[in-house]
Amino acid sequence: MRNRPDPVALLALPALLYLGIVYAVPLAGLLVGSVVRPGGVTLAPFADFFRDPFHWTVAGNTLRVAALTTLVCLAIGYPTAVALARARGFAQAAILVAIILPLSVGVVVKAFAWQIVLRRDGVVSQILVGLGVWDEPQRLLFTEAGLVIGAANVFVPFMILPVYSVLKTIDPRVGEAATTLGASPLYRFRKVTLPLALPGIVSGIAFVFSMTASMYVIPSLLVGDRFQTLATLTGRSFLFMRNEELGSTTAVVLLALTVAIVVGSTSLSRRLGGSS
Amino acid sequence: MDRIVTGKPSRRAVLAGAAGVASLLAAPAVLRAQKRELVVGGAASHKPWVESIVIPAFEKKYGCKVIFEGTRSLVNLEKIQKNKDKPYMSVVQMDDPVMILAVQEGLLDPLTVAKVSNLATLVPGTTHMDGMWANYLRPWLGIAYNRNSMKAPPTSWADVYDPKYKGRIIVPSLQNTEGLPNIFMAGHLATGQPMEAMQRDTDAGFAKLVTLKPNLLTAYTQQPQAYNLLEQGEAWMIASAMSSYALERKAAGAPIDLVAPKEGVFAMPSGIAVVKGAPDPELAFAYVDELLGAEIQGRLVGPTFSLATNRHVPAPEGLPAGMTVHAIDWANVAKERKAWVARWDREMAL
Repeated sequence: MRNRPDPVALLALPALLYLGIVYAVPLAGLLVGSVVRPGGVTLAPFADFFRDPFHWTVAGNTLRVAALTTLVCLAIGYPTAVALARARGFAQAAILVAIILPLSVGVVVKAFAWQIVLRRDGVVSQILVGLGVWDEPQRLLFTEAGLVIGAANVFVPFMILPVYSVLKTIDPRVGEAATTLGASPLYRFRKVTLPLALPGIVSGIAFVFSMTASMYVIPSLLVGDRFQTLATLTGRSFLFMRNEELGSTTAVVLLALTVAIVVGSTSLSRRLGGSS
Repeated sequence: MDRIVTGKPSRRAVLAGAAGVASLLAAPAVLRAQKRELVVGGAASHKPWVESIVIPAFEKKYGCKVIFEGTRSLVNLEKIQKNKDKPYMSVVQMDDPVMILAVQEGLLDPLTVAKVSNLATLVPGTTHMDGMWANYLRPWLGIAYNRNSMKAPPTSWADVYDPKYKGRIIVPSLQNTEGLPNIFMAGHLATGQPMEAMQRDTDAGFAKLVTLKPNLLTAYTQQPQAYNLLEQGEAWMIASAMSSYALERKAAGAPIDLVAPKEGVFAMPSGIAVVKGAPDPELAFAYVDELLGAEIQGRLVGPTFSLATNRHVPAPEGLPAGMTVHAIDWANVAKERKAWVARWDREMAL
């Protein structure tokens, strides 16, 4: 008798159909479009793209901002996720609402709000001058630092939630056992909690990094036209310059870089996590 | 370079008057037919004034029905392209850069004085490519400033380069059409050469623009964001600023104003043309004629905060008589823009 396919697999059909039509087919079109030119298949557009030092700057901008934002999100998000996992009852509900509710506020609204906060006479500038960090009011708006701050605000829930979902499954007795056996808090964190939380951290990093690398609205409002990223360059090529050739090249470069970094960091951390 | 000529009736004005009389005599032929329909394509943002001022006047005069399809210039172009064999749209109102594309595809029926008598009453430089299209209005570009932040209004395009405005200046990105004149004016400020020459040789312009970087707050792509920053005092000046946007904000009570610097302003013309093979060409040309006429334009300059193209309509209040209006060579822009944007990206980056 042959093995009959598990009928439960059919449940994946709607998602498969949907993603196939709205994601896989257009993506294949984009990939094909980036290498097919009149006269045949060629990698020349990519060679041209990387021959131009400006495009290295743009790719550098994209990766640097994505990495810094991910780092800020991790620094803020991890402790928050710990607090959320430890909290009970009303406190936990309050923290969850505080994390999830802002997701319903549009990115454009958030970016406009940051525009007010990051101004020369904005709150951030006033606080830093008041604390004596800055001698005179300065502007963070339309700077790379301002962009990272604004992007971290938008994307931090995507770090907190996956980390939290893993932390809450860790049996608290594991940590207690380590303490009983004489582990210092730092040793316990490095050798027990962190390896167990790693899957959540890795998916948080993958979420935040790929979303930040491809964000379009936030940089166009918070840093402007003078700081190009691969995503803003792609958007402009398609929407304004009608240069679909450059647009498909930059889109594929962005996709390749993001996938490489997310997949690379995932397998690296798995290996590190597994060895400890 | 264009100049709005005021005063003294010239021989041309007399000829134009004669042409006007001729059109009156010709009108009854058009008026004879009743309840004809005319489809006009234009910008969605123009709908309010087209439907409240232009259409009622035209329908009354010609006893016809006008349907205005408001969308974007490029969408209008596509509509004409797709229906090339059987056009349903007779008149199209689009930006000049898009008109060039329509001409290249052979989609337009040229305007002649015989069919559109008001063509003879337009200021120079407002009829293009042998009458393929004409400009019926010209929003203009000057410098917008915050009245609370600036003690005295700017008087020259050179003012924005003053080091005392560090981080206070906004310019449009080069991907916005209103951003183009900054290169030409920078070239003119640096070399003193006429504007036509500076549109062709942009090296001096770019070299000068780079010196503006310390003063730049940002280069905007979203106009509302730029005006938000100006009105709240984070930015002190926007150069260059569109009259149709800046003066509308001023009228709404924003603490800003728009000035025409002494070197002149730039025209951002809106074009009108007749579609080749259009239904009822007679009525189509009559519609164009109305929009180019002094009567309708006189009623439009107020609500649209624009300059007229009919020379019998006086310049709006607040603009010096005889002010220089620089025209932009759109055919040249179409050819060079990609290279300019690439250079802007590299040289104006943070």
